[in-house]
Amino acid sequence: MTGRRRFHEQLDDLEHLVIEMGHSAEAQVGRAVNALVTADLDEAGVVIARDLELDQMYLDAHRQWLVVSAEQQPVAGDLRLLVALLHMVVTLERMGDQAVNIAKVTRSVIHLPMSEGVLEVIQEMGDLVRPMIRTALDAFLQRDVELAQTLPSLDDPVDRLNGEIYERVLACDFGDQGLQWGVRMIMVARALERVGDQAVDIGEQVAFLLTGELVEFSQFDDD
Amino acid sequence: MNGSDTTEQGVVFDMKGLHVFYGDFPAVRDISLQVRTNDITAFIGPSGCGKSTVLRALNRMNDLIPGARIEGQVLYHGQDLYAAGVDPVEVRRRIGMVFQKPNPFPKSIYDNVTFGPKLAGMDADLDDVVEDSLQRAALWDEVRDKLDQSAMALSGGQQQRLCIARAIATKPDVILMDEPASALDPIATQRIEELMFDLKRDYSIVVVTHNMQQAARVSDRAAFFNVDVREDGARTGVLVEFDSTDKIFTNPNRKETEDYITGRFG
Repeated sequence: MTGRRRFHEQLDDLEHLVIEMGHSAEAQVGRAVNALVTADLDEAGVVIARDLELDQMYLDAHRQWLVVSAEQQPVAGDLRLLVALLHMVVTLERMGDQAVNIAKVTRSVIHLPMSEGVLEVIQEMGDLVRPMIRTALDAFLQRDVELAQTLPSLDDPVDRLNGEIYERVLACDFGDQGLQWGVRMIMVARALERVGDQAVDIGEQVAFLLTGELVEFSQFDDD
Repeated sequence: MNGSDTTEQGVVFDMKGLHVFYGDFPAVRDISLQVRTNDITAFIGPSGCGKSTVLRALNRMNDLIPGARIEGQVLYHGQDLYAAGVDPVEVRRRIGMVFQKPNPFPKSIYDNVTFGPKLAGMDADLDDVVEDSLQRAALWDEVRDKLDQSAMALSGGQQQRLCIARAIATKPDVILMDEPASALDPIATQRIEELMFDLKRDYSIVVVTHNMQQAARVSDRAAFFNVDVREDGARTGVLVEFDSTDKIFTNPNRKETEDYITGRFG
């Protein structure tokens, strides 16, 4: 029985690590948006530096995952938990990469003219996706499939704002340099839109963990 | 429980409300499940859950235990195995059995294989029976030149395959296996498992195993039995869940099954 007890401790450890990655990813996204909107190069540097921590957690989680799987050959709910955890680990690492992308844009646009109106939309998107990450993590921690299923509706306004960015940028009239800035803002919006999708992905993994069915939440969009 | 979906596959055993008693003591209670032809069906569960008792009920091995009796029905190809006039020896010829510990007779390899056919008075060329049975049991190539040597000189894994050949020799259509690999090392175990795959083309196999991974690897369908403890302390085996092995090992319906196969028991 000690083997199994150790197994469940290993699973708990891995789950804690993944939650820690989630909190880190959420903070990174918030920090990156804030650095962009306030033109804070120091904070953008922090985002890039802190991504190394997230990458290290990703590697640690990956290693732990391999060991647990090889040693314990999990089945049923344990197997689904491990599959969901691996998916989440990959997703959260990529979320961190999106924060880095935004931080790098911040560095590259610092001397360019910008539009407050566009930045307001970026800020709004950031304010929408951070609670989505938290909701996905809460749904996982609380094993709450109904909470997970709220994520697509939280994602709808993010997608809408991502579409609006194009119009806003096109409406700006500040020359070539402004256009350079605007194109990069479209990339930032796209990065935040991806973060929203990734939060929905985590919600899908929660549903898989709890029901054994892997379903794309987007299939319910037309209901 | 989903033991009744038998689309396009025949049913070899149909247990209907089977109870097995040892004296007044109910060892297993109210078991209903169908075993499909050419399936490997695994019985899993903790010690005392009645899985071996149910296995032995399938070829009337419990008859050999004084005071053992059954209620309910075991239909074998639609025929009641326990009906008056059914010869238990003939039952065991058609429904062979392999046990946990390899138990060859202290005779030659050849005599081990021909023992059953001779006893049953089968009208067949015994040399052919020996070669065919040993071929099917994946042992022929290893023993073809020493058929007159004692079976006791074989390794444990070879002895177990000899016991499978011995069971096959009487031309059964079902092979019951009670922990067939638990006394074997991993390599011999793997050979037995591969053999089970080969055998299921021609036979239906029911296997009792304590090895969860073995059940997951080899079986098509799995039945999880558990012990039901009454207020007075009496312990009776019950069937908790019976479903495709894929379902049982990825997303079982019953929490008891989940707890057992993931090790969250005790």
